Amino acid sequence: MDRNQITKWLKAPAKMANKYSLHAIYFCTGCGIIEVPPVITARWDAERFGVIPVATPRQANLFLITGYVSVKTLRAIIRTYEQMYEPKYTVGFGSCPVNGGMYWDSYNTIKHLDKYIPIDGWIAGCMPRPEAIFIAVTHLWTLIDKEMANGYIRYREKYKSYRRNQELALGKLDWPPLYPVSDEHQGNEQ
Amino acid sequence: MNKSLKEKLESTFKDIRITIPEDSRIAVSAESDNVLAILRFLKDAGFDHLALISAVDWIEDDCFELCFILTSYERDDDEVTGRQGLHIILKTRIPREKPQFKTTTGIFPNAEPYEREIHELFGINFEGHNRLTPLLLERDYKIPPFRKDFDTRKYVEEVFDKIPSVENKDK
Repeated sequence: MDRNQITKWLKAPAKMANKYSLHAIYFCTGCGIIEVPPVITARWDAERFGVIPVATPRQANLFLITGYVSVKTLRAIIRTYEQMYEPKYTVGFGSCPVNGGMYWDSYNTIKHLDKYIPIDGWIAGCMPRPEAIFIAVTHLWTLIDKEMANGYIRYREKYKSYRRNQELALGKLDWPPLYPVSDEHQGNEQ
Repeated sequence: MNKSLKEKLESTFKDIRITIPEDSRIAVSAESDNVLAILRFLKDAGFDHLALISAVDWIEDDCFELCFILTSYERDDDEVTGRQGLHIILKTRIPREKPQFKTTTGIFPNAEPYEREIHELFGINFEGHNRLTPLLLERDYKIPPFRKDFDTRKYVEEVFDKIPSVENKDK
């Protein structure tokens, strides 16, 4: 263990433990998934950074969205995100989730993923190298230290706006709201 | 072999144009009424695999073009080189005002998803197809999105760009 971090461990052991055991669920929406197998296997070995892939969203606390997001996958992304336990961190991987990338005028691609779910960090590039994932992970550690990776808290606070945006993009959602939404927003059962 | 198939096709069907763009390719242009008969003829001739149906929107000519690509697993087409894989591209044009065509699922059952996709993206109606439900798209589009008069930029500006940002107020 790094001796410089002993005070941090003593102050907030749960946070430190959480920070170094990121269980990632990879949402293989597009071409970004090509970069993920070398990252998690022997070539680059993400376990050096405490990142390990898991099978289901209920075991994960890091959500990597790799590649473009179509309308249909946005539905699955929201459902996956809402199933994850808190604290949970989201990282958009590649330029397509950031602002559409090369699909900036596509009829069916969601631009600006942060309008629908909160994002803690972006990895720009098309495609980013596997090293970029590790840089993102180390950045995420810093953000967790400073309590700036607070996407799940923002999601709870601004759930009404997020839910409204999700309904604007997907039409009526066929699952109940995760958090209570107030009456002034029409079209939802409480 | 290519030659004899060409002659056979030309003698059996009227109003048919056959070109051979390169080795192991035959392009057939036919009237839309003849297409089902030609497909059946080719299937009997050993072209048992429908590889693809695609559509093209020729907006200047005011028509849609349907392309059926057939190939065979069994025929040994080139006796000289022994190379297999003769592809037949069957093209037909249908008017843009009346995008109707007969289904080919009776001849090739695997045409079903292709026809659903073309129905969804080009708005071409396949008569007799028993499951023309949406395949890929979730949203409703006034104009099917693969038609040339569908303005994707305008659509994105009207729909996705109008959705406000949650975190950042100036976006």
